[in-house]
Amino acid sequence: MASNRDWTWFYRLGSPRWFYETTGRWLPWLWTLTLVLLTAGLVWGLGYAPQDAKQGNSFRIIYLHVPVSFLALAGYYLMAIAGAIGLIWKMKLSYMVMKSAAPIGAALTFLALFTGAVWGKPTWGTYWVWDARITSMLILLFLYLGVLALQYAFHSQESGNKASAILALVGTVNIPIIYKSVDWWYTLHQPATIKLTSAPSMHIDMFQPLLLMIVALYCFYALALILFTRAEILQRERKAAWICELALQADKDSAGEAEE
Amino acid sequence: MKFQFDSFQQMLEMAGHGPYVWTAVLVSLVVMAWLLVRPLQLHRANLKSIARQLRREQRRRGAGEEQQ
Repeated sequence: MASNRDWTWFYRLGSPRWFYETTGRWLPWLWTLTLVLLTAGLVWGLGYAPQDAKQGNSFRIIYLHVPVSFLALAGYYLMAIAGAIGLIWKMKLSYMVMKSAAPIGAALTFLALFTGAVWGKPTWGTYWVWDARITSMLILLFLYLGVLALQYAFHSQESGNKASAILALVGTVNIPIIYKSVDWWYTLHQPATIKLTSAPSMHIDMFQPLLLMIVALYCFYALALILFTRAEILQRERKAAWICELALQADKDSAGEAEE
Repeated sequence: MKFQFDSFQQMLEMAGHGPYVWTAVLVSLVVMAWLLVRPLQLHRANLKSIARQLRREQRRRGAGEEQQ
C-alpha cells in the first residue's frame, strides 16, 4: 500500500545501521566538498575581499565570526529537535545525533565568542563587554555544555538521554533572545549583517566570500556531525551483529597492515 | 577581483591588524580540525575495543568446550 510505504523512510531514518552505511558512502564527497569550500572561502575572504573603509583589515574576521555563529545557533535547533524526536518517538538514533551535536555546538559557540573577542579589541577597544548579544551567546555555551554533562550524569543511558533532551528543549528560549538581542538592547554589538528580508548591508565584493564561508561551514557541520554520530553508533550498538562483523573486519585489516 | 596585498609580509601584518586576524584564523582552524579528528579517534578506539572483547569471548568459549 502506498500510504504505508510513504512512512518507511521515517523508520529507516531511525535505524543506526542504515545511517551508518548511507553516510559511509557520502563521506568521501563531503570531505572533499568541505575542504575545497573552506579553502576557497578563506583565501577569498582573507586575501581578495576589499578591506573595510572604517575597520580596515580587522573586519576580515567576519569570514569566520559570522559563519561559526550561524552554525552555533542552527546547531542548537538541530540538537533540540533531535532531542524532541527522541522523547516523542523513542528513536535511538535521534538521541545519538543529539549527543553528537553538543560538543560541536559548544566548540563553535566558543569560536564565535573567541573570534568576536579578538575582533572587538581593535574595533571597540575591548575584548569583552557584558553586552546582551555576547552574554546570551555565553549562556548558549553553558547550555551546550549542560546537555553534554547530563549525558554522563546518570547510570542509565535512558535517563541521561531524557534529561539532555529536556534541557535542550528548555534552552531553546535563549535562541530568539540571541537573535533579537541586537535590536532590543542596542549596546555595542552591531545588528545582523545578513537578513532574509532585506539586501545585505555590505558591498557585494565582501558579501560573496561571506556567503561562500557560510555554505562551507554548513558542510563542515554536516561532516563533523556525521563523524561524531558514527562513532556514537559503534559505542552504543556494540552488541549488534553487523557492528561485530565490522570490528572483526577492521581488526583483520589492521593486523594485515602490521605484518606488511 | 584583485589580491589586496603587495607582499606576503604585508598580508601577515595587515596594516597592524595581522595579530588579531591571524589569531582568529589559527584558533578557528585548530578547533575545527579537532572536531574532525576527535570522532575519527573515537571511531577507531571503539572498533578496536569491540574486536578485543569479541576475541576474549571467543577464547573463553573455546576453553569451556575443551573442559567438557
